[in-house]
Amino acid sequence: MKRTLTIVSLILVLSMILAACAKPTAAPTAVPVVEPTKAPVAEPATPKPAAGTCPIEVEPNATITFSGWGDESEQAVYKATIERFKAVCPTVTVNYTPIPADFQTKLKAQMAGGTAPDVFYVDDQLMTAFAPTEQILALDEFMAQAKVTKADFIPALLTIFTQNNKIYALPKDWGTLGLVYLPEVFKEVGIPEPTDKWTWTDLRAAAQKIAAGGKYGGFCMGADWARFSPFATSYGNAFVSKDLKTATLDTPEVLAAAQFVADMFKEKSLVRAADVSAGWCGEAIGKKLVGMTTEGGWMVNFMKTTFADVAWKAMPIPSGPKNQSDVIFTNGIGVNASSKFPKAAAAFVIYATGRDNQAEIVKTGFAYSTHPDQAALIVDPNDKAIAKGGLMPDTIVAYWGPNTGKINDAVSQALDRIFLGDQDVATAFKQAQAEAQSALDSK
Amino acid sequence: MQADTRKPKQFHALPSIITFVSIFVVLLVIAVLNAPTMGGPKVMNSITVFFQEVKATALPFLAVIAVVAAVIGLVAARMINKVWGNARLRSETLTGFAFLAPYLVVTLTFTIGVVLFAFYISFHNYDIFTRPTWVGLANYAEAFKGFSDSTKRDFLQALYNVLWYSILVVPTQTFLAIQMAVLLNKPMKGKQIFRTIFYAPSVTSSVVITLIFVWLYLKGGYVNALFNSVWGIFGGKWTSINWLGDPRGLIQMVVEAFGGKIPSTQWFFRGPSIAWMAIMVQNIFTTVPTFMIMFLAALQDINPALYEAASIEGATPRQMHSKITLPMLKPIVSLVVVLGTIGTLQVFDQVYLATKGGPLKTSLTPVFLIYQEALGINGPIHMGYASALAFILAVIIFIFTFIQRRGIEKGTERY
Repeated sequence: MKRTLTIVSLILVLSMILAACAKPTAAPTAVPVVEPTKAPVAEPATPKPAAGTCPIEVEPNATITFSGWGDESEQAVYKATIERFKAVCPTVTVNYTPIPADFQTKLKAQMAGGTAPDVFYVDDQLMTAFAPTEQILALDEFMAQAKVTKADFIPALLTIFTQNNKIYALPKDWGTLGLVYLPEVFKEVGIPEPTDKWTWTDLRAAAQKIAAGGKYGGFCMGADWARFSPFATSYGNAFVSKDLKTATLDTPEVLAAAQFVADMFKEKSLVRAADVSAGWCGEAIGKKLVGMTTEGGWMVNFMKTTFADVAWKAMPIPSGPKNQSDVIFTNGIGVNASSKFPKAAAAFVIYATGRDNQAEIVKTGFAYSTHPDQAALIVDPNDKAIAKGGLMPDTIVAYWGPNTGKINDAVSQALDRIFLGDQDVATAFKQAQAEAQSALDSK
Repeated sequence: MQADTRKPKQFHALPSIITFVSIFVVLLVIAVLNAPTMGGPKVMNSITVFFQEVKATALPFLAVIAVVAAVIGLVAARMINKVWGNARLRSETLTGFAFLAPYLVVTLTFTIGVVLFAFYISFHNYDIFTRPTWVGLANYAEAFKGFSDSTKRDFLQALYNVLWYSILVVPTQTFLAIQMAVLLNKPMKGKQIFRTIFYAPSVTSSVVITLIFVWLYLKGGYVNALFNSVWGIFGGKWTSINWLGDPRGLIQMVVEAFGGKIPSTQWFFRGPSIAWMAIMVQNIFTTVPTFMIMFLAALQDINPALYEAASIEGATPRQMHSKITLPMLKPIVSLVVVLGTIGTLQVFDQVYLATKGGPLKTSLTPVFLIYQEALGINGPIHMGYASALAFILAVIIFIFTFIQRRGIEKGTERY
């Protein structure tokens, strides 16, 4: 009797311990006590905080965790950023915990479980998951305190991070596409090299001549929405209307751009990376399989490390009939809304994306500054040429709201079907239009 | 039993009540842990907020579980009451359940509780960070909207893909596994070495194998090189295929060879794509050895006297294979086919690593789609819709398994 009772009570106790383990009763999230501002903080006379002062006043002895993706080189950039941040906000401790793989998935799980870091990278996927429910903090108030305004950043960059007129993250860096080519191919074929005044028609004519030589592919481009976006915008229309309500993939502008690309593919002046046995078009350049492609700033490092002996050059993206415009890729840094030290976290975001730090990052050649006036700081001439695309007035970020991924996929697949000879341009983009509209309409 | 007959009407109130109450409480605690409420830091970091949310959204869930818990508690209490009078039965029952308890608690919390959570959520719109809102069967209806709206055909296409996968992979791998097992069951030199070599792919992580196959399947990769050299022997020229990026369907290619055309609006007539079949080959490569081991074990169970008797009767080896070996393997064939079907309907890792559902969604599978929807890879988080898809898939797997067991096991009792 006694023994069995012990067993029963043991089970009970055990299960209760288990239950308790599963849901630790954390201390109720007390609002961090903020020291009353004794003396009004001496605001620097200059509009921007000078180096040496913290961008905003922070909680005393704050410790924040910062997570981002990225390989070793990116980690080094942000370790250096943290060091510089320590110099201006010495009371804040930043713990850097990079998440190199499956970042978004892991962040969503951490957020659901209440263990997400205080500061983390934010892309369009995390904006969609976190911003509508305010899991990440609107930064407007802190920006006002630090005297940082929207106008400080390249305008297109903030489109992803703005929702309901509030800014939820600040862009940490950005990339865009430029025309990348091999000068020796042009010399061999005997045609002049591209200029920054080139149009898509010039590109096509050159690609035809290079392809006619038989040794190289002309222009390398995959069935990829990002590579197609500059065509579409320079023909006068993006994938979706400005109010993000209507898909515009069946408009005459987009269809004309698609037709241009399809014609190039048909006449074989445009090849896909796989057609020339390369993994991607950048590799096709490195292996000297094609004359031209559109790639971004990552080419600089890639060519340096993998194909150091190949001479290559870059020019800004060619212009179309309506304008010269490019596509921008960007990621931001945001603050966890349930951070215990929101001010310190916001201070870190503002510092990391601010002029001082961005200038340092540009010098490493790792990324472009998010501040338009710092474009001149870019060191590498190819990088400089590619980056010009980002500052063109009609350049866009291909962001269309929560279902961006589906809409861009629809474009890529339409191009894929055209390249396969499965459908003509009109049919393929009619289908893409229906798919994109359906994605826009769904919640 | 003897105790029962001697004191039939004795009622052990205290142990029965304790059993009932403790089971009821434990089950409810587990249910609260798995209560379908919104997640996020506000809820997870404060127990009061958590209970507020439970109260707001999970009371129906808890009510149902409470009824179930009460029933289970009553059954258990009755059993305890029955055995309490008999010291031996009592100690046997109690120790039995005490040993089971850790496993039961863990399974109830982390498997059954989660399944119930998902089932409840499948009738809701749920994005983790806001309260689930009841939508009835809308999520289930959404899954089949592809029949009328071609822009919402993802799930149907995923099912279509995975059906082809099952139809082609399961028979092939079962056939190959039997042949390999029979071969390795023959007395020959170096049998153990061959067994080890053949089994190696199954021990290796499917991630590693997938990555290796991604390289092999490149347009400039070894598979094309192999085809090229084999073709070369016959004087042909092999046009390299981008194996994992080619969406052309099997039926489509046959039709096109005869000058026909299947437009992409009729994707459902195109058959499995080249990319999808390339993944099938890789999957067969990794799973055949696992099933081969099962068949080997079964082969060694076959009574040698059967073969002796057959050879005395003058049976040829081929006859022995078809009349003795295969029939004797039937129960294992059934097992392998069922396991294979379940595995193929749930294929995920190869797709995740090699193709991400592409090209043109011809390698999209239900589980990959569930992953995308549940985690918001391509849009907002749709936990409810993903859960609904998971249950539809579970029902389909159940039906398949049921039919197969009926079909294959018919007649096995003869042996």
